[in-house]
Amino acid sequence: MRRRTVIPLIGSALIAVLTLAGCAPSKPAAAADSSTAAQGSGPTAGSGPAAGSSSPVAGGSADTLTIATTSDVVNYNPLVGNSRTDYWITNLMYPHLLSIDAAGNKEPSLATKWGYTDPKTGFYDIRSDFTWSDGTPLTADDVAYTLNAVKKDKPAGTLYGQLTNFVKATAVSPTRVEVALSEPDSTVIAEIGFWGNIVPEHIFSKAGSVATFANDKDWVGAGPYTLTSVAKGQSYTMKRVDSYPLVDGGTPRPAAIVYRVYPDVNTEILALRNGDVDMIANALPPTQVKTLQGTEGIKVEEVPGLGYAHMTYNMKQKDLAKLPVRQALAATVDYDAIRNVVLQGQAVSTGSSPIMPVLKDWYDPSLKEYAYDPDQARKLLTDAGYTSDSNGQFPLKFRLIYSLQDAVTSQWVNLVKDGAAKAGITIDLQGLERNTYLAKTNEGDFDIYAGNFAIMDDPATNMALTYLPGGAINYSYVDDPKLNELISKSRTTTDRAEQKTLLRQAAKLVHDNVYDNIMYTQNLYVAFSDKWSGFIVKPSELLSIVDPVSLAAATTTG
Amino acid sequence: MTTPGTERSEAAPAVAVLPSAETVDTDLPRAAAATWRSLRRNPLAVLSMAVTLLLILVAVFAPLIADFPAAYGTQVLSPPSGSHWFGTDSLGRDVFAEVVWGSRQSIVVAIAASAIAITVGTMLAVIGSYFRRLDTVLGVIVDLTLALPVLPLMILIAALAGPSTLTIITVIAAFSWPEVTRVVRSQAISVVRLSFVDAARLMTSSPAWIISRHVVPAVLPVVVVSVVLTASRAVLSAAGLAFLGLGDPNVWSWGRILYEAQQAGAMSSAWWLTLFPSLAILLLVLAATLLSISYNDARNPRLRGPRAGRRRPRKASR
Repeated sequence: MRRRTVIPLIGSALIAVLTLAGCAPSKPAAAADSSTAAQGSGPTAGSGPAAGSSSPVAGGSADTLTIATTSDVVNYNPLVGNSRTDYWITNLMYPHLLSIDAAGNKEPSLATKWGYTDPKTGFYDIRSDFTWSDGTPLTADDVAYTLNAVKKDKPAGTLYGQLTNFVKATAVSPTRVEVALSEPDSTVIAEIGFWGNIVPEHIFSKAGSVATFANDKDWVGAGPYTLTSVAKGQSYTMKRVDSYPLVDGGTPRPAAIVYRVYPDVNTEILALRNGDVDMIANALPPTQVKTLQGTEGIKVEEVPGLGYAHMTYNMKQKDLAKLPVRQALAATVDYDAIRNVVLQGQAVSTGSSPIMPVLKDWYDPSLKEYAYDPDQARKLLTDAGYTSDSNGQFPLKFRLIYSLQDAVTSQWVNLVKDGAAKAGITIDLQGLERNTYLAKTNEGDFDIYAGNFAIMDDPATNMALTYLPGGAINYSYVDDPKLNELISKSRTTTDRAEQKTLLRQAAKLVHDNVYDNIMYTQNLYVAFSDKWSGFIVKPSELLSIVDPVSLAAATTTG
Repeated sequence: MTTPGTERSEAAPAVAVLPSAETVDTDLPRAAAATWRSLRRNPLAVLSMAVTLLLILVAVFAPLIADFPAAYGTQVLSPPSGSHWFGTDSLGRDVFAEVVWGSRQSIVVAIAASAIAITVGTMLAVIGSYFRRLDTVLGVIVDLTLALPVLPLMILIAALAGPSTLTIITVIAAFSWPEVTRVVRSQAISVVRLSFVDAARLMTSSPAWIISRHVVPAVLPVVVVSVVLTASRAVLSAAGLAFLGLGDPNVWSWGRILYEAQQAGAMSSAWWLTLFPSLAILLLVLAATLLSISYNDARNPRLRGPRAGRRRPRKASR
């Protein structure tokens, strides 16, 4: 009896421990190996004159580019979805009017020209050579339809948030759309152009509301690739289209793009090392960059950041409503340590300003970062009438929420907690699953919020969303009449110099009153196999090297 | 003294280790001494006792062994060396210090969760076996709870209630008591039918007195074994929850070290981040399990041999 029971028990204990520790990578079933991909590319390769030859320029190659991601597509409707994988995959099918450069300036994409005919009327001139993958030409009607439908049906995506002053879009010719605004707004045309995906009217209009349309089969896109098959939890296969005007030669080069789903970044890195995937779409954890840079067969590319990470202090909380308390908290954060240790130096200070240095045209170098000085924090609190007990503890206790899915933030909140403890302030960390975190954020159920935004490209729009009362991401619940006026004015003026002055004044107000504690802009790194080259780097994790133009231009080397 | 085969029809095939109530040693002091003598002579038992004791000592004296892990260090992900025995993690913190301090939470969770589970489980078991009408109801509740998918429910509750040590203890205890009830009940039910309990009934009308003075002591050995097993399962559950990010972020635990390694994407390149906390979990669980098995064998007079103190016969008569 003795031996019979001991061995299975030791065994089960061992297995339990090993399962816990090992987290053995489960290799998703291969969705499309290279031979099936080559067959599939037959018809498209035939369109070019040099089909079958090895020249990539003439008709694209027969290769499949496999990309690792960590989550499934939740929503195939680009007007609704907002997770990373949703964005990456729908972006390859539904074009944007405008693209963006590393300094946040807008660049032509589907639209060739954009601007205003008068303060309350904007316009886009679009290309005439785009076609949907079912052969229907993409015209100004599709653009006008998309914008009007989003305004009417209010899908919960980023685009709808940009449409506050939007009234109506009209296709005045097959290549020109005019946009009527309710009041002068100098930023809305560029913002809609950048954030909005254009969808096919002849498909989406049949579905009724664009806010509820699932769009989960028979996809019709106008990007370089169209989704053809989905194995949930495993892979998403996208085939090349015949014609994509934004790539040299007019035909995307890789025959197919396959997104494979992995449980986490550890397994993604293993898959890249094993050659199971050609690229990891998610940005690398900062500590892994050096390791992978030194790994043979793997290339690491820097992707400039265009967003920021920050903490907001909920000003509805009675202590946090007081400026000295916010100043004291800001003085307990060791910003340099966070950037050097957690981010391994892969981040730049924004000078505690909401206008980051990457936005070269707007940045105000005279704003300096809050100094890390716990003693000064104690002094501020004492001067404000708080008294510490015999252990040096002030009667201040705050609950800081963050998303557990955000690995970098999860790490630096520990430094924030320790820093605050040095000044006698208690911070309780509350790491939450992403959806709970978003829900609590929207309800204002926190004292301190830690998080980040991927793209904060336009200071006027972003400050309106972040600091105006009722703004979608006003997580500090600030309502300062002076600040409100500056931001509102900056949005209506069309004089760029005046706009810059107003925004800088607004940023200084935010900085001096600690309405927000902006900590850094992270520069990201992505890894791919050295068998591939020709990627075009775009800012932020959303675009990085997986932007449609970049993937369509990728070629195999050797 | 052995019970007649009454339990055959009653006892459900419960947990593997526990031979369903085959022996009841009611002469406690003498039996305890015999058990202890037998235990002492079993090298496996001594070794597992030593390991358990060592881990408890590490937890108690953690501040003397290692400084509390600093917020960050300058050398990130450095392999084990003279200055960092277990290497450093992705924030440059000393993994040795994390493992040492993590033992505190693991052991606190183990003790607290198993104490709650044992108290509730034993109480329900003896009450159920003494008052036969309640037994059916309790049996259904136990069966129902045992049929629940434990891990998903633990995850759900821990996620909703928010991660904290208290949540973890409560969640683990809430799902551990039914097994204790089942095992203890199988023994208690046979004890309640023995003649000395009937004799006690003649002396008093207080069921509480009979239960506490006669039934509970008789099932104590089974309870002891359950304590150790429940505790070791609690360690695993706590580590599992922490690995899923549902641990207390304000306290170090072995599961949290694993979780942070996974979050930092360092699992494939830094083996020391996963090896040492896993070893600690393995040691504690293994030692506790072996200890409970050895104790179970030692307290069984049949396995202990005809005379206490002698080597037990090689072939257990079974």
